Amino acid sequence: MKILVIVRQTPDTEAKIQTNSAGNGIQTDDIKWILNPFDEFAVEEAVQIKEKSNAEVVVLTVGSDKAVDAIRTALAMGGDSGVHIKDDAFADMDTYALAKVIGAKIKALGDIDLILAGKKWIDEESSQVPLQVAEELSIPQATLASKVEVDEGSKTAKVTSVIEGGERIIELKLPALITVEQGINEPRYASLPGIMKAKKKPCEEVGKGDINGDEIGISEGELGIDGSRYKNDAIEIPTITRSLKVIDGNDVQQASSELAKLLREEAKII
Amino acid sequence: MSEILVLVDKAQDTVRNVTYEVLAAALKLKEKNGASISAVYIGDNAGSIESDLGKYGADKVYKIENPSLKDFNPSLYAHALSELVNKVNADIILGGNTLQNQDFLPRVASKTKGGLTTDAIDIDLTSSSTLQVKRYKYSGKSIATLSYHDVKPMIATIRLNAYKPVEAGAAGEAVSESIDIPADDNFKVIETNIIPKERPELTEADKIVSGGRGMANGENFKLCYDLADSVGAGAGASRAAVDSGWVPYEMQVGQTGKVVSPNLYIAVGISGSVQHYAGMGSSKVIVAINKDPDAPIFQKCDYGICGDLFDVLPALTDEIKKLG
Repeated sequence: MKILVIVRQTPDTEAKIQTNSAGNGIQTDDIKWILNPFDEFAVEEAVQIKEKSNAEVVVLTVGSDKAVDAIRTALAMGGDSGVHIKDDAFADMDTYALAKVIGAKIKALGDIDLILAGKKWIDEESSQVPLQVAEELSIPQATLASKVEVDEGSKTAKVTSVIEGGERIIELKLPALITVEQGINEPRYASLPGIMKAKKKPCEEVGKGDINGDEIGISEGELGIDGSRYKNDAIEIPTITRSLKVIDGNDVQQASSELAKLLREEAKII
Repeated sequence: MSEILVLVDKAQDTVRNVTYEVLAAALKLKEKNGASISAVYIGDNAGSIESDLGKYGADKVYKIENPSLKDFNPSLYAHALSELVNKVNADIILGGNTLQNQDFLPRVASKTKGGLTTDAIDIDLTSSSTLQVKRYKYSGKSIATLSYHDVKPMIATIRLNAYKPVEAGAAGEAVSESIDIPADDNFKVIETNIIPKERPELTEADKIVSGGRGMANGENFKLCYDLADSVGAGAGASRAAVDSGWVPYEMQVGQTGKVVSPNLYIAVGISGSVQHYAGMGSSKVIVAINKDPDAPIFQKCDYGICGDLFDVLPALTDEIKKLG
């Protein structure tokens, strides 16, 4: 069995976000980049399935040169090989165009049984790219999995999915795509030997010339940013002025009464 | 005339409020471009929803009813909506940012060659009549403005509580749409379990009380729950509390948890890290309760009490109950 994990490199959660001079993107120079925290759960799930079934785990990302670090992190956790889609023509694509490119590459790989992804990319605040990939590949999907059981014999996956107000159990025929919920497992830390080994694992670089647009119903000219459905006009850093009224809590009764009153009469919120 | 489709979110027999919020967003666009607004129901039994939907702005209600749409199946729902889009030539599709819409609309975008953005906090039309969306990026750390190219359909989900329902008119005209739904052997729902929740879902809650490291253990969260229940709030937690195993992951607020923007957010025993703030910094009013006067949260709140949360929480709960 072959499992592919779609991953994303994102700014570190501690990174301070500042707009670039054009005002439509962020300053990326001083930012530390990490494997998207939600993707760690997907990589861990793939590695756990591999440990039970001898599956092979491929890690795929789209991004500039530095994005290879996200792949290496996933390989250090136990992935077997990487696919790094990088081309200047692929920078700043929207989700539609990204899914086209990723879908085309997965189609070309041909023999993927299961695709896993994290529930959300913390940079884009978006969960849609993997699901658009599922549509490109015409395969079934389950989202927000809190449990995944793969049955290689019947080529199915039984998935417990979080839904509004509860959960449900779904059986998917493979190949299928599953996004995993945070907490489905405890992602392992990459060990030092794991990191050393990851450096030697194969990582294929894929450029625009390697993607066959015909196969995914997109013309050469539309492949990349020109296939995008929308563009970023501006990015602003929200500034909310807070009133900073902090009450001394030495007299608890007095302080609590005062706060309740402020919330009722000034903020008019309770 | 161009048409705006609004997805109907129905639980049991009632249309959920989020649908009326999205209709309010659609009305904003209608004022500018004069488009007609059509609500779209997908499922097995619509019932008489047209009077309620009409009241909040739907000119028309498409009902796509089919027994095989009883259980939500993203491929089949995407098929149903995409077929309708092809039939009626809709320019814009709007829905609430619900889990179900986040699940199947990506497939609709790819099927129809349309564009999709999720969790808009505001929408508008550009001078060239394409959709423009404001949404958070990098969690709550930045707000992006995106505009669609000349594509159809332009699809967006709207953040819950971002718009207030507006009463706008009479009953909508009901239109039954028969769309063939193919069999799907690749996706089978075995079991659905609705788990009764004691408090509002975090992403929908108007008020939230969250506990952090200062709670010291899981049992102490009862103090947070008591305060939450006194104001009808949802209950959240910081990453530290979740990672310590005190409360479940689904309660985590922050950049690696849920991103929320309630009208009132009470942070209890939470220092206020960058990551936590990224998940709740857009709340309208922030209240902090912490015994450390140097906690960063006191630099980012509207109101606060610097004191021991184990004394403050019961006292504050009492005071709020007294106000009635």
